[in-house]
Amino acid sequence: MSASVVGRAVSRVEGVAKVTGAARYAADTEVTGVTHAVLVKSTIARGRVTGIDTAKATAAPGVLGVFTHQNMPRLTVPGPQTMFLKGFLPVQDGEIRYSGQPVAIVVAGTLEQARYAATLVKPAYDAETPQVSLAANMDLAYLPEPHPMSGPPVYTRGDVAAGLESADVKVAAEYSTPLQHHNAMEPTAMVAAWDGDRLTVHASTQGVGDLQRSLMAAFGLPGESVRVVCPYLGGGFGGKALSWPEPILVAAVARQVRRPVKLVLTRADSYTASGHRAETRHSLQVGATRDGRLTAIDHTLTQQVSRTDELMFNNPGQTRVIYACPNVRTTQRAVRLDLPIANFTRSPEASGGHALESALDELAYALNMDPVELRLRNWSATNQETGHPHGSNHLRECYRRGAQRFGWARRDPRPGSMRDRDGLIGWGMATAAHASGGVPGAGADLVIKEDGTARIRSATQDVGTGTYTVMTQIGADVLGLPLRGVEFALGDSAFPRSVVAAASTTVPSVGEAVVRAATQGRDRLIALAVADSKSPLHGLDPKRVAARDGHLFDTERPSRRIAHREVMRRHGKPIEVVVSPAAFTPRRFSVGAYFAEVHVDPGIGRIRLRRVVGVFDPGRVINPKTARSQVIGGAIWCVGIALTEHTLVDPYLGRVLTPNLSGYLLPVNADVPDIEVDFIDRPDPSSPALGARGFGEVPSTGLTAAIGNAVYHATGVRVRDLPITPEKVIKS
Amino acid sequence: MDDFAYTRPDRPQVAVALAARPGARFVAGGTDLLNLMKDGAEHHDHLIDINALPLSGLRKVEGRIEIGALSRMSDVAAHPAVREGLPVLSQALLAGASPQVRNMASMGGNLLQRTRCWYFRDAAMPCNKRSPGSGCPAIKGQNRRHAIVGGSEHCIAVHPSDLAVALTALGATVHTLSPRGARSIPMAGFYLSPGNTPHQETVLGQGELITRIDVPVTPLARGSRYVKLRERATFEFALVSVAALVRTQGGVVREAGLAFGGIAPRPWRPAAVEEALVGRPLDAAAIKAAGAALVRDAVPREHNAFKVALVQRALAEALGEFGGSR
Ligand SMILES: Cc1cc2nc3c(=O)[nH]c(=O)nc-3n(C[C@H](O)[C@H](O)[C@H](O)COP(=O)(O)OP(=O)(O)OC[C@H]3O[C@@H](n4cnc5c(N)ncnc54)[C@H](O)[C@@H]3O)c2cc1C
Ligand code: SF4
Repeated sequence: MSASVVGRAVSRVEGVAKVTGAARYAADTEVTGVTHAVLVKSTIARGRVTGIDTAKATAAPGVLGVFTHQNMPRLTVPGPQTMFLKGFLPVQDGEIRYSGQPVAIVVAGTLEQARYAATLVKPAYDAETPQVSLAANMDLAYLPEPHPMSGPPVYTRGDVAAGLESADVKVAAEYSTPLQHHNAMEPTAMVAAWDGDRLTVHASTQGVGDLQRSLMAAFGLPGESVRVVCPYLGGGFGGKALSWPEPILVAAVARQVRRPVKLVLTRADSYTASGHRAETRHSLQVGATRDGRLTAIDHTLTQQVSRTDELMFNNPGQTRVIYACPNVRTTQRAVRLDLPIANFTRSPEASGGHALESALDELAYALNMDPVELRLRNWSATNQETGHPHGSNHLRECYRRGAQRFGWARRDPRPGSMRDRDGLIGWGMATAAHASGGVPGAGADLVIKEDGTARIRSATQDVGTGTYTVMTQIGADVLGLPLRGVEFALGDSAFPRSVVAAASTTVPSVGEAVVRAATQGRDRLIALAVADSKSPLHGLDPKRVAARDGHLFDTERPSRRIAHREVMRRHGKPIEVVVSPAAFTPRRFSVGAYFAEVHVDPGIGRIRLRRVVGVFDPGRVINPKTARSQVIGGAIWCVGIALTEHTLVDPYLGRVLTPNLSGYLLPVNADVPDIEVDFIDRPDPSSPALGARGFGEVPSTGLTAAIGNAVYHATGVRVRDLPITPEKVIKS
Repeated sequence: MDDFAYTRPDRPQVAVALAARPGARFVAGGTDLLNLMKDGAEHHDHLIDINALPLSGLRKVEGRIEIGALSRMSDVAAHPAVREGLPVLSQALLAGASPQVRNMASMGGNLLQRTRCWYFRDAAMPCNKRSPGSGCPAIKGQNRRHAIVGGSEHCIAVHPSDLAVALTALGATVHTLSPRGARSIPMAGFYLSPGNTPHQETVLGQGELITRIDVPVTPLARGSRYVKLRERATFEFALVSVAALVRTQGGVVREAGLAFGGIAPRPWRPAAVEEALVGRPLDAAAIKAAGAALVRDAVPREHNAFKVALVQRALAEALGEFGGSR
């Protein structure tokens, strides 16, 4: 008996298409007669456009149209249920809400013509002084309206004041994280083409369905008239997860010029067009008994929001959920600034987790207790926010296995105590945790063809995480087909409705739909086989029949079997199954433990990460290869957030100063050491997707704190303001 | 980007004649020029591609190495004569940019690359260097990467080249050609201080072509080294850097050449630093005195005060290699 394809380290099924260039990304879409759009963006951060001179641009070679708020068709602003969260559409009025807001769109026959003409558009402004500094505007912090996507503005359990009062040891500290950008490798691109009243948009989006619904709303069109297609994404990290204005604007101008229009955002555009992680301040008070049991956590987040929305994507969920603590309060406060809207970036809970895990390290020192031991003492079998048990939770094993692989027992906890010839060595650890699911489920359809192979479709996306591959594995496992016998198709809003590829939700939602569709398909195949008088399985109880290796067989006498192909040939027509979305996927937490070693030369402030060990509990691992890649990618993001990444904004002009990969420092290969990855790999019995939980965002949490904690261990300097740059650690 | 004419002459005299006209500009590797033009930070209506000119390659002659202006950073860095005789030059080149950029980028272009000041590179911002008289937002704005010495109230941008720092410490000479003839310019006199004309960065005239760079090969240069501090392990401009040439005898410094990057609008080689070292044992006191001399006139801004300490640390780190203790 061959082992199941689930759990096998299968290489990406779309890998060959990607490395040979056969994979067509949005910008590669070939549409006859396509024209090119370029955005003209505001250079002021607040005020009004008082006039736009478009004469020269309109007369420039190849120009088909120059669109400003004065001649743009009126569009309906889509509602938040379509994941359009920005609250307004640019190029509809003269008001400027941030620097970089599109104020005009130029369409021309070639990209070069459009780019050149865009430089000739001359807006005039009535500028006001923008407010863009969180530090300078902390006194404006307020509690925004509750919204399901933000998490509760205020959450309380127990009596936090009393809990702190009764603590033997207390830690109070403030941690901050700067503005950060997603920086997917593929810039957002789109091609919009009208055929009469039917609109097709090829776009780089993490949510084909949401984007389709936002276009329907903007143009007042029914679902069958709008199709959004996105077979491949070169990363998204949340930056492509919302429905943004650009596809709507591009579709609107395509209708005006009566030609298909393509827009590929520049790297610089992506620093104002796709959201960002808001700058945050986390103020924490943590109390514990002498033996390290938490008595209270008070966690207040303050972050930037925009003038046109107040959604918060730095929910300190980990503080409420993970550790056993009777008295907990989390508060989320917003400060409105003249910046673009913030959204989820990589893992939205990462900044809150960073603050909590840093504070716990400070607490461990205050208690004179090993930080692993502190976390073990406060481990909780239940989700502390809901009081319900986790589906499963092997976090304690993650700590133990990680500590062992890392050699944690050899750590001398005294700061500055471990060194080598040319500097200090620091070891730090932290918990990684992120919510997954908790959103509506996905639908799917399935066809078992006459040749016995199957095709499954769902309007989901593969951000690069491996959706194509793991869904193929799940389908093949349930249907009893080899991998090559199953084709999984995604990235088309015409497929059965699914959910946005975000919030670590694809495996629990789409995986569940694939399990359901494949189970129904397999059962129908079995029903055919037992009903067919010429089948070796004729007359058997269907419950006795199972599927494996392309065959149905009698579980009590496995040599009695028939190939899927044979059953289908005799049936003579395909089996078709459609499953509609489950109302809800369970909200779960996937967890892990990170251990990090840094080397610090305190004389010159040089910090180098030397070693990382991460052990995770994502439930059952569908594919160890794609899961491991996800950890490596997440860990590298953490290296950036801990040590280098920050978007600079001019405090007076409100403009992003680092809108490129030369100014915005992402880690390079030389900054990334060996990352050792391990999984507990035990199915979560509550999972609807073969024991797997959502996992995508977990690896990009926790390691930032492990690195910061390691820097403290090395140097005795606690850097509470990310990134940890040389000047913050040099010894005076 | 605006339209521009493009010519690819194969004789230097033709190139400089073409370039004499305002609006003309040489292009070598294009790794900086094209970015600047695409970003609207520079506008030129005629590009003169100099890659067909016979200006590539290294030549070892008595007492010096002559480096053609079109030699690529990667080739110069890898050349055995440079690695052995001028290690600081090889190290400075390899500490710059990425392998891909170094394969394209020329020596002459490197010396004339423009500052990475954010404001300079965003055509929507005021900037005295890009559009004279429009103001310098960096002085009150995001100036973490800006100059602590040598700036003016009109501009505090730093010169980004690592190569220029090494060549300044090595006492190299730049050779040029223009319609008025050939001339040679010592590195020490090649760059200008910003004063109230920050848009004028070098002594070169319109269309003056760098033909080669001569670097003296001396016992002092043999043990030289380059220290570059930055956040990332590679592919980043310097927060601060030091090109250090030191010759000691019996523990006493006999000769020194020290130039600094990342702290000033041009490669910074204050005589006082070398004076603080020469004739003294290379001990902690001497290193401290040299560091103090280096930052004596520093004018730190809101976000870059750390450079005052960091550049002294970098100096100590560099001198550590020559037996100094930091
Ligand atoms: C991402 C990135 C990172 C970088 N990091 C670093 C770094 O860490 N350290 C560092 O030192 N540099 C760095 N650089 C800069 C790089 O070294 C320069 O872009 C390069 O050296 C310029 O050489 P080029 O031949 O491409 O010049 P071009 O871009 O062709 O020209 C630059 C200027 O020099 C002029 N010019 C070129 N040759 C001559 C000549 N012979 N005579 C007269 N004028 C001439 C041109 O007219 C133009 O004004 C980086 C560049 C990039 C893009
Ligand atoms: S420092 Fe110089 S280059 Fe930068 S903005 Fe000021 S004038 Fe321009």
